[in-house]
Amino acid sequence: MSGKKVLVVDDEIHIIHVVAIKLRSNGFEVVTASNGAQAYELACSENPDLIVTDFQMPVMDGFELVRKLREKEQTKDIPVIMLTARSFSIEQEQKEQLNISDCLGKPFSPKELLKKIEDILYQKSIAN
Amino acid sequence: MQNLIFGVLGLIPGRNFYIKGRYFSKFCRIAVMVTAIEVCVLLAVSLALWQDSGFGGGWRLAVLVGSVTAAACGSCLGWGWYKLVREIKSIAGKFGDENIDVSYVSDLQEEKQTDNAVIVKLYEAIRNRFKGKNNYIADLENQIKDLQLNIRLLQKQRLKTESIIYSVRDAIIVIDEYDKLLIANESAGKLFNFDFKNCQQRSITELIDDSRNGFVEFLRRSRKTRARHTKYELEILKGDESKIFSCIASCIHDEKNNVCGVVAVLHDVTREKEVSRMKNDFVSHVSHELKTPLASITAYSEMLLEDEAGTEEMRKEFCTVIQSQAQRLNRLIEDILNVSRIESGLVKVEKKPISLAVLIKEQTRMLKSYAEEKNITIVENELIVYDQVYADKDMISQVIVNLLSNAIKYTPAGGTVKIEAEVDEISGLSRLSVTDTGVGIPEDDIDHVFDKFYRVDANKEKAKGTGLGLNLVKQIIEKVHNGRVFVRSKVGIGSTFGFELPLAKKEVVGEKM
Repeated sequence: MSGKKVLVVDDEIHIIHVVAIKLRSNGFEVVTASNGAQAYELACSENPDLIVTDFQMPVMDGFELVRKLREKEQTKDIPVIMLTARSFSIEQEQKEQLNISDCLGKPFSPKELLKKIEDILYQKSIAN
Repeated sequence: MQNLIFGVLGLIPGRNFYIKGRYFSKFCRIAVMVTAIEVCVLLAVSLALWQDSGFGGGWRLAVLVGSVTAAACGSCLGWGWYKLVREIKSIAGKFGDENIDVSYVSDLQEEKQTDNAVIVKLYEAIRNRFKGKNNYIADLENQIKDLQLNIRLLQKQRLKTESIIYSVRDAIIVIDEYDKLLIANESAGKLFNFDFKNCQQRSITELIDDSRNGFVEFLRRSRKTRARHTKYELEILKGDESKIFSCIASCIHDEKNNVCGVVAVLHDVTREKEVSRMKNDFVSHVSHELKTPLASITAYSEMLLEDEAGTEEMRKEFCTVIQSQAQRLNRLIEDILNVSRIESGLVKVEKKPISLAVLIKEQTRMLKSYAEEKNITIVENELIVYDQVYADKDMISQVIVNLLSNAIKYTPAGGTVKIEAEVDEISGLSRLSVTDTGVGIPEDDIDHVFDKFYRVDANKEKAKGTGLGLNLVKQIIEKVHNGRVFVRSKVGIGSTFGFELPLAKKEVVGEKM
């Protein structure tokens, strides 16, 4: 998976930090954003292979970000993993509608997240 | 001598008219006067005749005078009788009247004591004749009096019951089986816009527009189902405000167990609904807030265990993150518990004279790094050190921290947060205020910012929070310290939050807690 670029979006600096460390140590290139709006700009300019985003964020939340990404040709196929600390899980329907690859509840295991990222990117590479 | 005897005899009938009692007094005076004149005339004539010793002429004159006297007495007697009969008739007439004058009856009883047998007999006859009737009328009169009393009592009870119904805060509407309104209280009148005091017997459909809320239909349905109680939730639009009412309709049954009406009680549950929604939001929010530091703790500890921290420095950094996030988690839990403790009155308060200026200095120092992180300047005005207040140091410190951290949280980078304390000697208060150049609070939200779990929608995304910080401030200042919190704000310009506490010397020792 080396050289694959992952955009990590969270308003919690510590979460971004820990995910970045985990991914970088496994050969990923990591770009980070602290809210949806910033992430959308980075997604357009950096063309990441995958996005890991928090759901609840200031300025623009995770849903809004994915919705905007799906509207744009350049970003509409980028796989998204959503991290959420919400007390209820994201509806399957919404997940399918927005083409969210996977959801991970907080607290999460970085190891598990890494595995999910690798799986999704692997499947994507096969599909291509 | 015979004349004298005759004359005296002639006086007897006159005496008989001397009747005790006010109705005959005038007549009696005439009778006495006539008798006196008669005595004088008789004496004068008799003496003259006696001295003349002419028996023949004297005798004739005596007879003439005697006859005149007798005639006068007789006419007096006749007049007396006439008056008496008229009086008795009038007494009899009075008995037939509904308005019996009791004092008049007692007068008659007095007359019974007179020596006039005729009057006594007549009076007794009249009394006997009307005796039964008199009792009957008295009975009737008593019954009327009882009824009047009962009516007055019932009217009083009715007014009392009505005023109870009118004063109930919930709206009450009672209709009969034909949809006619029987009673409605003030709240109902206000709710459906009708004059609640002058609407009895009017059709409920005339008074309430059912097109929006289906309330009348609900009442009819309840009556039809005959169920004792039926519950319904009603949304009523009052101006721009939507209010939610919990409506319970209860059927009224008559003695044959037929439904003869429906009583509806409408209780405003808008606030309860709001509180319930806020609680749900709070649970969702708190769980998010709890999970966020927990997520960091879990992730970093896993990294440590997996030996992902390549260097000692990194390991230390990971440990620091775990520690700070654990502390954050603890603060959040403390906040929740503090609010709950203060609300339930279980918190231990240790009040002593403290200086707000000293507390401000301490807390500002603590928050300096947080402010610097966000590139915000904290400005302290020249603080007065003698502003002693009688308060719990830890609690007031908590208040200052909450106000300061809120100000920093909602102020964009480059902004300023000013904290100042002033002493108002006249009103005996010490006032602390924190002014920021932050996002500000919309007018509609300003009255609610101290409510528990309340978060300003427009600012929700600008910073995280539990909606507990300001509520805790209010509870500590107002409930524990008998002070007052205040807020002023303008969107885009900034906010001022603060509180007033009584100066220590003015404070009366003996608090609520």
